[in-house]
Amino acid sequence: MKKIIAFSISLALIIGSVTSCENELPTYFNYSAYEFSDLDIDGGNWQPILFPSSTDIVIDAPAAVNSAEYQAELAELKSSAQNLSGSQVEAVEYWTNNPLIRWNEIALELAAKYNLIPPPNPDGTYTLPSAANPAGPPPFPFAHPPYTSRMLAYLSVAQFDGLITAWHYKYEYDRPAPYETDASIPYAYKKNSLPSYPSDGAVIAIVSRDILKAMFPLEHDYLNARAEEHLNSLTWSGSNTTSDIEAGKAIGTAVKTAALARASADKMSSAQAPKPVSDAIKQSAINRFGWWWDNQESPVRPVGLTPLFGQVTMWNVPNVVDVRPGPPPAPGSAEFEKDAQELKDIAKNLTKDQRKIANWWSDGLGTYTPPGHWNRRAKEYIIKYEMNPLRAARTFAYLNMAVMDAGIACWDAKYYYHFPRPIQTMVGFKTILGTPNFPSYTSGHSTFSGAAAEVLAYIFPSEAQVVRDWAIEAAESRIYGGIHYRFDSEVGLETGRAVAAYTIARAEADGAD
Amino acid sequence: MKKYLQLILCMVILFAGRLTYAQTPSDAIMMKKKEICFAFMYDQGTWDEYWEGTNLITNENIGTFTRSTYMPMIAYGITNNLNVLLSTPYVSTKSDGGQLAGAQGFQDVNVTVKYEAIKKDFGKHRVSALGVAQFGTPMSNYLSDYMPYSLGLGTQELTVRAIGQYEFNKLIYLRASAAYVWRGQTEVERPYYYNNGSYYTTYMDVPNAVNYQVILGGWLFKHSLRMEASYNIMNSVEGDDIRRWNMPQPTNKMEATQVGFFAQYYFTSIKPLKGFSLMASYSQVLEGRNMGKATNFGGGITYQFTF
Repeated sequence: MKKIIAFSISLALIIGSVTSCENELPTYFNYSAYEFSDLDIDGGNWQPILFPSSTDIVIDAPAAVNSAEYQAELAELKSSAQNLSGSQVEAVEYWTNNPLIRWNEIALELAAKYNLIPPPNPDGTYTLPSAANPAGPPPFPFAHPPYTSRMLAYLSVAQFDGLITAWHYKYEYDRPAPYETDASIPYAYKKNSLPSYPSDGAVIAIVSRDILKAMFPLEHDYLNARAEEHLNSLTWSGSNTTSDIEAGKAIGTAVKTAALARASADKMSSAQAPKPVSDAIKQSAINRFGWWWDNQESPVRPVGLTPLFGQVTMWNVPNVVDVRPGPPPAPGSAEFEKDAQELKDIAKNLTKDQRKIANWWSDGLGTYTPPGHWNRRAKEYIIKYEMNPLRAARTFAYLNMAVMDAGIACWDAKYYYHFPRPIQTMVGFKTILGTPNFPSYTSGHSTFSGAAAEVLAYIFPSEAQVVRDWAIEAAESRIYGGIHYRFDSEVGLETGRAVAAYTIARAEADGAD
Repeated sequence: MKKYLQLILCMVILFAGRLTYAQTPSDAIMMKKKEICFAFMYDQGTWDEYWEGTNLITNENIGTFTRSTYMPMIAYGITNNLNVLLSTPYVSTKSDGGQLAGAQGFQDVNVTVKYEAIKKDFGKHRVSALGVAQFGTPMSNYLSDYMPYSLGLGTQELTVRAIGQYEFNKLIYLRASAAYVWRGQTEVERPYYYNNGSYYTTYMDVPNAVNYQVILGGWLFKHSLRMEASYNIMNSVEGDDIRRWNMPQPTNKMEATQVGFFAQYYFTSIKPLKGFSLMASYSQVLEGRNMGKATNFGGGITYQFTF
């Protein structure tokens, strides 16, 4: 009997050790509403991206604070913000006073959800996702890194322009926060002197919802529901009255219209070129250089990923050729053989650290992609440095414009040089990461990361060393993964930095520094 | 006779270890106090189709997948009705399609304690009941998040099993067992993954599982050859499905229904080989989810003596 008791107790202890020492598995960033380090009261004078100025969208003056109309709104707000249900409290705590963070996470989650490569059909052909038939199969979009970089750029730019406009009218009309007019209205977040009309939260909700709906047409119900909860949280938290919110929605609608107009004309819709065009691009490389890239999958994918993404309209680089790198070393040359041999040596003696770096930065299919990875790091710094929503939007906007431009520059080089991957040049070479469906030179991860790190170093100078080291590590990770030569990564980093210089030049002139 | 039964213990344990997620002793036999058994088994599982969710597909970028398992084991009788077992498989994986590198290394170390609660004879009928607890933990920091090439699930695992057996005339037996497998988390090397939503962490929850087995066995040639047919179900109790044309991951809901045959020959009449036995096994996955439709062949050798 004693034995049975002892046995049972040890068993219970082991079950405990297997199941109870488990780590929390966060599904979103754990932060609470915080006090902004600065309100950027002149933010309404900053230079928008899509509009000539912050006054292009016209917002009428609100009713006076002592008007019956506004007093009725306050009374309504007061009753809505009191006696919240459990789920209402959760919503208020989730969205916080910087809901930009949440919409960025929603964007990243959708990128991960849709970052699935189209499978082959039973007859060995491939059907590509189509915006005209989003349900597919395969579903639209395939949120690969170029697609995701562009999605994030439009999202962030529209958020930024919307908030510049909101800031402009906030300080022009200077309507105090509801709790300042009526001290009995509960306010869930940190009090500050930011005027409440128009609602910055409503701008963010509408812009984010509508840009993401355009980018993820199968997610309308989900995005509507998220926006509705977000808009409701503005009332539940005591942040905004109805007219604050309506004015914010008007800005949001105007900005997203401009953003989507740009998007519809930026040539992304023709980036996934048909096979004849793709074949002609390959033939040009053969004629110019004598080498070419071929997809190595079975069945072979007839066209690489977005051969004409390099022709998509850039945000801040006048012409993609301005940042096009020189050619890679020819296969068979001593310079090429040195880097090829390095890949073989690494594959043979891969260390645990190298493996970890390869996986840490892999951000491959089914994930938020490298642009998503850098957005996540930006988000963490935004919270660390307690940026207000406008300042946060500026960070994301310049980051994501640089990242998208970097993608365009990289794709231009990839298809101009059409350089074969290691698994094509080295027969029998095995890798620990899957080789993507596009040419080798230059490395997309390296280019994205080089650009992202420079923008973050500019915005967060005290983190410059950290983010630049990350970019180098991200570039190195592709070598450890066996899918890029060192020259792909090193030149990619340089191109990314060159692209970022254009972005930063624009940022330095926007009035925010 | 007893000796054979003691040997069988090793055999069955090794045989059960064939499933990478279920190294579960599931027989009804005990070793006597101070008896010790060494065993070594090789098993090779191959598949060229796998279930993506519940949809059986082929993938030419994997081609034919092969998992080889080399498993040394030692078992010891602490008392006549309390045994302890220790095993650690060495696993090697590869595929003949695509460019992804295989993996190799020691997988998990497993410690098993087995307690015989009931053994009653009613003339020619024998009924027994046992309880088994097995604890496993990774031997090295192999990467679980590299499926299907990963060596194992990379998590601590506790299996609690109940076994019941009926044996007639020491010639034929029917055994059934049921187990619950608690699994912890596995640490992976990427800071984000998607599991029906974003996960901002390097840890993944590996789903718990249930295992049910029915085995019909019998003896031939004066107890020198034993043969068994088995039906085995191993199902995760939760988890996500592999997404379309995507890699599997340790959070997946894995299910397998498998039939198997097993034979073991004991060198009873050849003096120099006394204490040795050889065994062979075959099994086939019939139905599954988020797993390969594997065919396994195995062989092994055991040696047993009193300490």
